[in-house]
Amino acid sequence: MTAGKPFSPAVKSSVNRRALLKGAAGAAAVAAVARSFPMPAIAQETTWTLANSMRSVANPYHATFAKGGEDFAKTVGAKFETLVTDGNSEKGISDIKALLQRTGGKLILNVDPNDSPDARVIVEEVKKAGGFVVTQWNKPDDLHPWDFDPNYVAHMSFDGVPTAEAIANALFAAFGGEGGIVALGGILSNVPAIERKLGLDNAIAKTNGKVKLLDFQPADWNEQKAFDITQAWITRFGDEVKGVFAANDGMGMGALEALRQNGLAGKVPVVGIDGIDAAVKAIEAGEFAGTVAWDPLWTGGMGLAIPYAHVTGKIDITKEPKEHREFYGTGIIVTKDTVADYKNNPPKTDFGDLWGKATGQIQYRS
Amino acid sequence: MDPGLRRDDGLMGDHDLIGRNRLKTAALNGGALAQWRKWAPLAVLLALCILISLFNGNFLTIGNFIRLLNSAAIPLVLCMGATFIILMGSIDLSVEGIVALTAVMVSLLVTNDISPYAIGLFAVPLAVIAGGVMGLLNGLLHVKLKTPSFMTTLGVGFAGVGIAMAVLGGDTVRISDQTFRFLSLGRPLGIPMAVWIAIASVAIAFIIQERTRLGRWLYAIGTDEMTARHAGIPIERTRILIFTVAGLFYGLGGVLSAAQFGQGHALISQGRLFTTITAVVVGGTALSGGVGSVLNSVIGVMIVVVLANGLVLMGVEPYVQQGVQGLLIIAAVALALDRSRLEVVK
Repeated sequence: MTAGKPFSPAVKSSVNRRALLKGAAGAAAVAAVARSFPMPAIAQETTWTLANSMRSVANPYHATFAKGGEDFAKTVGAKFETLVTDGNSEKGISDIKALLQRTGGKLILNVDPNDSPDARVIVEEVKKAGGFVVTQWNKPDDLHPWDFDPNYVAHMSFDGVPTAEAIANALFAAFGGEGGIVALGGILSNVPAIERKLGLDNAIAKTNGKVKLLDFQPADWNEQKAFDITQAWITRFGDEVKGVFAANDGMGMGALEALRQNGLAGKVPVVGIDGIDAAVKAIEAGEFAGTVAWDPLWTGGMGLAIPYAHVTGKIDITKEPKEHREFYGTGIIVTKDTVADYKNNPPKTDFGDLWGKATGQIQYRS
Repeated sequence: MDPGLRRDDGLMGDHDLIGRNRLKTAALNGGALAQWRKWAPLAVLLALCILISLFNGNFLTIGNFIRLLNSAAIPLVLCMGATFIILMGSIDLSVEGIVALTAVMVSLLVTNDISPYAIGLFAVPLAVIAGGVMGLLNGLLHVKLKTPSFMTTLGVGFAGVGIAMAVLGGDTVRISDQTFRFLSLGRPLGIPMAVWIAIASVAIAFIIQERTRLGRWLYAIGTDEMTARHAGIPIERTRILIFTVAGLFYGLGGVLSAAQFGQGHALISQGRLFTTITAVVVGGTALSGGVGSVLNSVIGVMIVVVLANGLVLMGVEPYVQQGVQGLLIIAAVALALDRSRLEVVK
């Protein structure tokens, strides 16, 4: 687009939206017919561009997040783009601005902002251009979708407190519910690290003194640090340690290898969070007592499906309750008992069931 | 004062533990102080050990000693390479990149869950050589393009992590080759195999430093490159060779990392660079070059490892630990560094 060309994204997009709403009813009928054929669901072409933005595709979580978006875009026959920030907020925001320009504001964006403050800038840009946005994990506490109706559709996250509590209980069960544990935390200032510690504390408090936290050390999400700290714990506490709680699977793997070096792998259970493959395999080998698998395929697709339902007139997002605008997804607890089932039946995503996996409105604890 | 005259002892190589310029230092500071400074890193290490064992008797057990050595093994191997570079007055920031790349490479070559290769221990020399090639690249870029080692090694390091990421696309390779894992889990004579390998690395590095021309030359270059050039030392070739040798050590570090965790991924080396440089400097090797020894770095690694272990053993609050660690590192460097020759501190 040349710089001199007069251009008003707001007006243009509102016209387009009206036209699109009319077309959507017909399109839905076409889709319904198409669904009755056993063909891959390439439904009607849409004029909306769908995009997922995230840190990189070099980690399994974000790679799957992108795939979820792509899967949904295929079901509605929309153009899909992947934007990566490479951990650079500036790049993330300017890529989004460029895409808003290119699509004339007809953009549905599912974004995991690089940093919380980025969310505000992104939401404002999308609203100005007349697009629609869903944010994941990171946003300032005072930024709410309903303050930017209808363009800021929703914010999705996972609640670290109940998941950490559940996985801690799985750890306690693995060693008989009585004894001392040690815990590895994430970077002290990270929200997930704080939430997961809180969940662990809750679980310990509910054992009425049967489980004792011998020591807590932040290993900054780092495998190597977790290894060295666990080695020191073996010296300090010896066989008082009945279990190791790690706030993520990476640190849990570090702890497991330190235990292995001392002949304790499989004897002292470890739990982690994230559901990485190595952790799932360690559960099968009886060395991990459990992990929590997030569902990035679901967040990646649903962050597009909800705004798409709004622009196609299926729902009116401004009339949805707050627990449909800021909500938690469901973590899947994987333990020795459920690991076979988890591997055989990976979580399925029904893009028609918009809030089926939502588990309540987001809580602000600070 | 003519720096050539003042520092020409770099060519003669009286460089046991610290004071290579003892005569000069003695004249300035008095012999006692110079003698003390030479042993300062060792004294710091002993003081730390005594302090920690007062708080927790378990520190002085054989079990903990073996665990400490186990934690020290990989940093030791990496420090052998980094010490040479720093002695030469350069810096090497490619540690993490080369370790990541070689760790991923070796884990893809032994029996694993992603690639079909299963060449067992033959993968080890291949990965070490790959590290050497990366080091050679460091040296060539640094010398031939006349770019500061700070930038070239940073670039090569990023490239290393980048290649590891591209190869795996964010995945983790799981190693199922138990012979390979013996490199970390084996316990000949009750001591972890990785520790034996680290001891061998120190011995090789010490021989290079003391018994080869390469070792002499790198001190000469680090002390005063102009003088070394006048003395006919092949500066460029030495620099390239030293970077290559360092790369070989990092490659070995990558192999040991993969063996330790039984897996390879692009972030396996996270945090290694900082520990490595810290250990070298805490051991008393000057960042300005020419002063220090691989033996200093052995003490430096032990200080860093004992400190991390001790803070957990003493039950120091996590919030306080990083502060204590920072202060102790500054104290160790302040005690160990011979500043009498420094005209400017950068």
